[in-house]
Amino acid sequence: MALRMWASSTANALRLSSATRPHFSPLSRCFSSVLDGLKYANSHEWVKHEGGVATVGITDHAQDHLGEVVFVDLPETGGSVTKASSFGAVESVKATSDINSPISGEIVEVNSKLTDTPGLINTSPYEDGWMIKVKPSNPSELDSLMGSKEYTKFCEEEDAAH
Amino acid sequence: MRIPRNLEVWRLGTVNYLEALKLQEKLASERKINKISDTLLSLQHPPTYTLGKRRTDYNLLIPESELKDMGAELHYTQRGGDITFHGPHQAILYPIVSLRDIGFGARKYVENLESTMIDLSSLYGVKAHGLRKCETGVWVEDRKIGAIGVRISSGITSHGLAFNIDPDLSFFKHIVPCGIADKDVTSLRKETDMELPDEAVVQDQLVSCFARLFGYSDIIWKDKRNIDIDG
Repeated sequence: MALRMWASSTANALRLSSATRPHFSPLSRCFSSVLDGLKYANSHEWVKHEGGVATVGITDHAQDHLGEVVFVDLPETGGSVTKASSFGAVESVKATSDINSPISGEIVEVNSKLTDTPGLINTSPYEDGWMIKVKPSNPSELDSLMGSKEYTKFCEEEDAAH
Repeated sequence: MRIPRNLEVWRLGTVNYLEALKLQEKLASERKINKISDTLLSLQHPPTYTLGKRRTDYNLLIPESELKDMGAELHYTQRGGDITFHGPHQAILYPIVSLRDIGFGARKYVENLESTMIDLSSLYGVKAHGLRKCETGVWVEDRKIGAIGVRISSGITSHGLAFNIDPDLSFFKHIVPCGIADKDVTSLRKETDMELPDEAVVQDQLVSCFARLFGYSDIIWKDKRNIDIDG
């Protein structure tokens, strides 16, 4: 219940028309939230492309599978990112996990709040837990990413297969 | 239906830390492109202190020069976790596996690494536990018997776990182990009432616990002491 309310308030904040609800069918084990209007990589990063700037973070599914994030390693503004290559890392449960960029481009802003409050990635993966903002060098790269329905299905299949 | 998966285990004997790191990087790249299947390195290190990505060197209590005089090395790494010690009679397992193929995230993977050490401990009548909030690792009451520090890159793991069979625990006095100041370190030798078999047997049992917990159908053992890392 709280998850649905949170998801819809996030959707309102992002001015999205609807949020894909978490599935509660007995066959589905994907209880993480997935938002419409974002694009998703199969390594569980999301991108929001708006006004020539792409914001990147990791999904609710990803933060849940990571555990509590205690440290975030982010690049400098002005650096570049390449699609499917690592741009930083997060540490949780004594594991550092590389984060891959879903798109290529120049980093125009980095979320400095994550230095002091890395847990924002867990509590607000689509909002306050954003990681970098990128000026895409090749916006057509977004076309090969998944939409919300595809990503939801992808998560379900990934979780159910094992 | 689960597809049967094999685990290839390399018994490496005692390996210098940097050499083991180079080997892991090579194997992780090969695993990423599916050139090899899931591989686990089973080894020990000469006396070595290591730090994780957060570089918490304030937890090293003596100058580096003194470390070298002791015959120990110090290395900064990309793994998660704080400062720790590796040395003779401590079993090290470095699984190079694809988490995406297994369907685990970091949290589940690390929980299973904890369970690996807990299961091994129970073979010798030692009740160990993990899953302490904010404190990954394996404990017997308040004494730490096993440590974990992992790196995950493109879904492929490296680094892994260190289990104290019977290391010289005095080496831990020179650090705040894993950043936890008020807890002791312990070993299987100290905790068990049973007689321990040859260390190689215990280390192989640890590998078997791992393989069982991670659902591997078969282990392919390879003895690779004195391997040519660059070959």
